Amino acid sequence: MEKIQKCSCGSDEEGLLERLEEIIISFKDKPGALIPVLQATQSLFGFIPEEAILKISEMLNEPLSKVYGVITFYSFFSLKPRGQFLIRVCLGTACYVQGANEVLTALKQQLSIDIGETSADKLFTLDVGRCFGACGLAPIIMVNEEVHQWVKPSDVKKILNTYKKQKASTKEEINQEEIS
Amino acid sequence: MQIKLNNRLYEAQEGETVLDVAKRNGIYIPTLCYHAKTGQAAKCRACIVAVDGMRGFQTSCNLKVREGMTISSESKEVTDAQRMVVDLMLSSGHHNCLACERSGTCELQDACYHLGIEKTTFSDHPTGIKDESSEFIVIDYDKCIQCGRCVTACNHTVVNEVLGFGFRGLQTTIMCDDQIPMGESSCVQCGECVQLCPTGALTDKKSRGKGRYAELDKVDTTCPYCGVGCQLTLHVDREKNAVVRVTGREVWPNNGMLCVKGRYGYEFHASPKRLQYPTIRRNGKHERVTWDEALDFIADRIKTTVDKHGPDVFSALGSGRITNENNYAIQKFTRAVIKTNNIDHCARTCHAPTVAGLAHAFGSGAATNSIDEILETDVIFVIGSNMTEAHPVVSYYVKQAAQKGSKLIVCDPRRVDIAHWSDLYVQLKVGTDVPFLNGLMNEILKNGWQDETFMNNNTENPEDMKAWVKDFTVEKASAICGVPVETMLLVAKMLGEAKKVSVIYCLGITEHVSGTDNVKTIANLQMILGHLGKRGGGVNPLRGQNNVQGACDMGALPNVFHNYQSVTNEKIIEKMEKDWGVSGLSRKEGYKLPTMLHKATTGETKILFCVGDNTVQTEPNTAKTIKEIEALDFLVVVDIFPNMTTEYADVILPDVCFNEDEGTYSNLDRRVQFLRKAVTAPGEARPTWWIMQELGKRFGVDLKFTSTNATWEDMRKTGTIMGGITYERIQNLGLQWPCPTVQHPGTPVLHLNGKFTRGKGLFSQTNYRPQAELPDAEYPFVLSTGRRLWHYHTGTQTRNSVGLENIFPEELLEISPADAKMMNVKTGDMVKATSRRGTITVKAWVTERSPEGVVWCAFHFREAHANVLTNDAYDNVTETPEYKACAIKIEKVSDGVKVMERGFRQARP
Repeated sequence: MEKIQKCSCGSDEEGLLERLEEIIISFKDKPGALIPVLQATQSLFGFIPEEAILKISEMLNEPLSKVYGVITFYSFFSLKPRGQFLIRVCLGTACYVQGANEVLTALKQQLSIDIGETSADKLFTLDVGRCFGACGLAPIIMVNEEVHQWVKPSDVKKILNTYKKQKASTKEEINQEEIS
Repeated sequence: MQIKLNNRLYEAQEGETVLDVAKRNGIYIPTLCYHAKTGQAAKCRACIVAVDGMRGFQTSCNLKVREGMTISSESKEVTDAQRMVVDLMLSSGHHNCLACERSGTCELQDACYHLGIEKTTFSDHPTGIKDESSEFIVIDYDKCIQCGRCVTACNHTVVNEVLGFGFRGLQTTIMCDDQIPMGESSCVQCGECVQLCPTGALTDKKSRGKGRYAELDKVDTTCPYCGVGCQLTLHVDREKNAVVRVTGREVWPNNGMLCVKGRYGYEFHASPKRLQYPTIRRNGKHERVTWDEALDFIADRIKTTVDKHGPDVFSALGSGRITNENNYAIQKFTRAVIKTNNIDHCARTCHAPTVAGLAHAFGSGAATNSIDEILETDVIFVIGSNMTEAHPVVSYYVKQAAQKGSKLIVCDPRRVDIAHWSDLYVQLKVGTDVPFLNGLMNEILKNGWQDETFMNNNTENPEDMKAWVKDFTVEKASAICGVPVETMLLVAKMLGEAKKVSVIYCLGITEHVSGTDNVKTIANLQMILGHLGKRGGGVNPLRGQNNVQGACDMGALPNVFHNYQSVTNEKIIEKMEKDWGVSGLSRKEGYKLPTMLHKATTGETKILFCVGDNTVQTEPNTAKTIKEIEALDFLVVVDIFPNMTTEYADVILPDVCFNEDEGTYSNLDRRVQFLRKAVTAPGEARPTWWIMQELGKRFGVDLKFTSTNATWEDMRKTGTIMGGITYERIQNLGLQWPCPTVQHPGTPVLHLNGKFTRGKGLFSQTNYRPQAELPDAEYPFVLSTGRRLWHYHTGTQTRNSVGLENIFPEELLEISPADAKMMNVKTGDMVKATSRRGTITVKAWVTERSPEGVVWCAFHFREAHANVLTNDAYDNVTETPEYKACAIKIEKVSDGVKVMERGFRQARP
């Protein structure tokens, strides 16, 4: 399990925990609060850190094992920090036949990471899935919510570059906002 | 109805399952995930059967019978399918029976045996993962079949909520908390998971290699720790004269559940530190003597002293730790031989206000209802009880009830762990129970929530009551007890509107200068609400020790013979003189325990005969107690271990412990339960009844204690409420008194239909009396005391058993985060706690359990125990000390090693 890391960008992690407390309080008395709280935690931190698990368990008065059980049951939740972009490669039958495995290998090589891992620059996390329900477009990969169809191993570099640029531009935007 | 199983007709009842019918008729169907306590999971699929007219196979554990159902559990088709299920289960891990603890009792092994599986036809998948991090339990993941029994047990039976399933699909695994090692988790090591595990996945660490189940003798007996009276089985290696394992018996009162002490604190009987021979102190040293020498010496000293100064210079202490027979023997010796009523025991330090208060209000000073009824009530009102630690098995029932929808209100100055399961936690100031409860009653009466019929028909003075309480408005009460008015109104509403309320209380109520008043106030509340004399209601004190109820029942009290027969009633005295065949019994009440000791310094008490009572460590204000003990002319101590009190003894006699003699204990719901001999006592240790018989002889009196049974029979025939309880009747299950005749089935609910023992219930006026020593500028903190989960009283048993001390090795002073911050104290720092009576140096534990201004520590460790600090102020009726409140100051001594704290619901940092 990972703890909250002091971020290089200097963002106030303690502030996030306080924010989490507010979220938990807003859900506290509703039945079935656990999953929405976990979803909020996942978007807040990008993963579910140990501190958050303890806090959720205490504030919702749910056993730790239940909180952890739910987190590890659903693949949406992650105990490790995820990159800004989650790449999911479909390994369903249709995609597999159309060469998804080769695409996966190319991604692994380009990013120098294995399945479930995050690239050193914290941009990409690589994951696999079983059939996204769009077999006509096989092989497909999903980057966050965006679908890339008929992907060839040679396309991988270009796709990754698009997101690297996106990241760079958002940074600039933020900087400009801060300046203005 | 009838069903056809394997071509034979069987009788079946509506609501039964096919498995129930098969089991009852000795037909084996493999089952793994099913257990009566964890329910019909229908998960493992091993119990499948074929039913005519139904598609596929059915799981018999949750298949309800229907008239004319035709079932096959033994056809080739069915057993092939069962075999496949079990075969796959074998392949999912690594099931090697050769060195397995559970070999012979493993249900997976049973299934393989019956289905003829020698090994899996697939390859198995060993992972080699074992969790040996905890003190008492080993998890062998290779032997886990994920049946879920442990998870259900942990979450719904004992409701400790530690174990859970993590991950999914092939990765699914059981885990503790957030998948951390068991030893680091919030697990309280109750061992219920071990008891319910069908395989060798969860086993007792200490028992490894010491004997498989079938090789050991099994002795059913009663737990020697708290007052719940759990029924357990000792697994005994006769050759080694050792208990090697303890399991819970699935009968009332505990239904198989135990706590860490009952299940794992068993080796003390074999400790080399046990007292083994009588000793007499000569020239400052205890020298071994023969029993005859010791007894002659004692008899001689008693005779010469009593002849010179009269019988009242003799005082004796029985104990809530020893059997009924032994308590009876001491009181009979004291009364019939010495002719004094100076006999008391440690109920004085705990529940004497209960006995006095409830006897005053109802006519009977014991819990009115039974433990199992907790599951039948609507509102459980817990006040002054840290039950998850002091009475863990009762807390399991309370938590179960809360899970099933009963409302739970917990009132305590400390945020005790049971509050986590409560619907409402009420934090009141220490010692303000009377105004709090009176305020509630005022509100209940104001809203007409009282049971008017009950009050009019079943109580003596309802109008007086209404008049007194009128002045106790919620606002006034709130100002004293610190509970917000709106919270009080809410509590009053919850209590007032409930169909059934069960009040459970413990020493937070009794160990105050207003102890008896506190109890009477609780009695008032339940009489107003009319929740007495029916199932699921009642006033239920949690008696602290295994046999403190019994010690009271046996008359180890200065005002009553056994079975609460008054010592000042001439008729009763004459009856006792006739029954016992003696004359000249004392006509006046004896001294209570504190008075016995106080009178030592004035020379009015010269001899103290103390059995199973570590007086020095358990009485408040240790420095003063030592002075009093030292002032005695002659102190005899009968005990199983050397302790702080034996150090001052002139004669020490070695006693036997709970598994070395037979006898009976009475638990907190008045259940007289049987104890069996499992091992032989060390050295020359002898039971107290034998000692008393031998001493009696030296005074020319035959006390008729020729055996435990003879002692019991002597009590039974001269008693009242236990006249029908014979050894024969309680061999398997205990009986609850009153049980006057041998045909009587026992009494689970006292005062049935509101017919109180004393006739009509009596309301008593109670007023607020603040604690004797309030905090001030010099001593700004209130110290409260109590018991921890991991230890028991002065630690003679728990500290002489393997493992408990590893979990909790030293006393900690619980300090609130706010106070700790102010003093710059962290968990693990050494602090000095000082009261006007003494000082102890302990480690601090910064915890939210403590409210601001209140600190807490226990009295288990003689190195640093609370009673050095506690105040020798007493309840005015019963002389029960105010252990729950005294004023102290705290100074930091040194920084400690930083302690990692994690999560909550922890009985330790």
